[in-house]
Amino acid sequence: MAEVDPIVIGITALYFLAVIAIGYYSRARMKSATDYYVAGRQIGAVVNGLALESTYLSPASMLGLPAFIFILGYPFFWPMAAIIAGMPLATLLTATALRKYAPTSFADYYADRYNDQRLRWLIGIITMFAAVLYITLSIVGMALFLLAILKVPYWIGVVIGTVIVMLYIVWGGMIATSWNAAFQAVVMTVAAVIAAIAIIAKLGGLGGFWDAVAANNPKFWNTPADAPDVPHLLTGTWIALIGWFFVWHFGFATMPYTVVRFFTVMDMKTARRSIFWCTLAAGIFYVSLQIIGAGSKVMMETYHPLVTEGVVESKAVAVLKYYATTFGVGKVTDYAMIAAVEALKNPVILGILAAGGLAIAMSTAAGWVMVVNVLATRDWGEILLKSRMAKENPILLARIVSVIFLLIGMFISFNPPALVLDLSGWAFVAIIASLGPGLILGLWWKRATRAAMWTTAVVMFFLHLYAWLKAKYVLGHHSFFFLNDILFGNPKAFITPHQVWAIPVGFILFIIVSLLTKPPEEEVVKKYCEDLTKEV
Amino acid sequence: MPWPPKVFWVGAFLFYGWTALCWILEATAKINHIKLAPLLYASIIGTWLIPLLMSVMYFYFPEKAEKARGE
Repeated sequence: MAEVDPIVIGITALYFLAVIAIGYYSRARMKSATDYYVAGRQIGAVVNGLALESTYLSPASMLGLPAFIFILGYPFFWPMAAIIAGMPLATLLTATALRKYAPTSFADYYADRYNDQRLRWLIGIITMFAAVLYITLSIVGMALFLLAILKVPYWIGVVIGTVIVMLYIVWGGMIATSWNAAFQAVVMTVAAVIAAIAIIAKLGGLGGFWDAVAANNPKFWNTPADAPDVPHLLTGTWIALIGWFFVWHFGFATMPYTVVRFFTVMDMKTARRSIFWCTLAAGIFYVSLQIIGAGSKVMMETYHPLVTEGVVESKAVAVLKYYATTFGVGKVTDYAMIAAVEALKNPVILGILAAGGLAIAMSTAAGWVMVVNVLATRDWGEILLKSRMAKENPILLARIVSVIFLLIGMFISFNPPALVLDLSGWAFVAIIASLGPGLILGLWWKRATRAAMWTTAVVMFFLHLYAWLKAKYVLGHHSFFFLNDILFGNPKAFITPHQVWAIPVGFILFIIVSLLTKPPEEEVVKKYCEDLTKEV
Repeated sequence: MPWPPKVFWVGAFLFYGWTALCWILEATAKINHIKLAPLLYASIIGTWLIPLLMSVMYFYFPEKAEKARGE
């Protein structure tokens, strides 16, 4: 492959310098544990909105979604629309009520609403498990961008990415994380917009883009209604498409790394307005990714240097295989976005993409580290274990916890088992199915009980893990319903991406157990259910 | 029983209704084969403008209600 252009190196170096500078200067604003945990609840709407965007959208968005479109065709635009529409839905469902309550950690609401401090253990364990997966995914994402675009050896990329995130989290906690995440949101959104415009221009404008995509893949714009000429088996039926539509839809309202961001803003008004800014930027980002994903195959097969120089045949899969084989890391599909942009042969756009890719990965890693360091330091150390160190020196302990989690992620990332990276998809649905009902119904349903919270969290976590692993390893793909072989005698009979059925089942289980168990105390319900949801 | 405000349901209906309408038209009138149409109705409108409109409704109306209550 071609040598790295100095412009690409320069843009990436500038990005790193900016992130380090923001982290360093945010130290001065940090005066208390509240500043470290929730940025002193002083973050404004624009900064929090942008931070929400970059934290919530992981490298799976930038690396994975264009590849999903490239493989699954146009119908995959809709699950992406549902991800963005899930953002405003959170405004009145969880964000405003939780900001009114003003907790510090993700577990606070569960412990108080269900009047059971032991829930801090359960929520902590489930969240930390998911955090390790996501931190690893993010570090691998950073290293992949550095490797594929800047040709930095993989292990060095892992170390560089981890150390920079570590620096700014240790320096400035949630203050540094918020400001950096806002900056990173701008970088990644601008990168995607520029790449999308450049691809449209390269293919001859919007009309040329449409024609080129249709000529390259005649099934691309098809839907399940065009059966049997569907773009892919996994988007071949309306049921499958509905599954994809809902798989990530409610994540924004319930995932720990977004929920804690609602605690950092000044007031309820700011919480609501921050989601407007998040939706504005994330919508632009996703429309750009849809264009890049749709154009990626034709770009690779027509303009990629490996094809034009005759190194590989004119097939997108051949280009991507060349990347995966040459670099020896990641899946073939991980390189779709990078290969599509490399086909533009423009070092400025490639440099901005490198910065954008690093930005989306670093912000997600930092967001998860902030969730778990509060849980470990404040909830476990100070509240449950009554540790003197956690009480007297919480910031030091939180910094140590942050470093530990990043080091765990870094060591797993050196040689990441494929399962670890795949499991982040499992973790997303597992958290919504196990912790989502207790959060949403705890706010909006007086009858929600402690027993239902425990039962749903434990049962859905393990049931979903079993179902996902069975679907993947016995049936062949996580998108195949895990009972297909037993019920239908055909492993591919029913498509349920990431076992998305677990979300409604989690809610139904929660409701049934609540109705069968003793109602919660009136006083608790009034305080943590009625008062919080009144006039959100 | 607490219940999300009316505006929440209006926003949700807007998004789910638009998606359902587009899917019905794709299944019946094959609008996905009209040149550039999916980029307009699924990308620009479905992925960006409708969620953005929902987010505006979700801060504008609660703020208006707060103002009316004198908060």
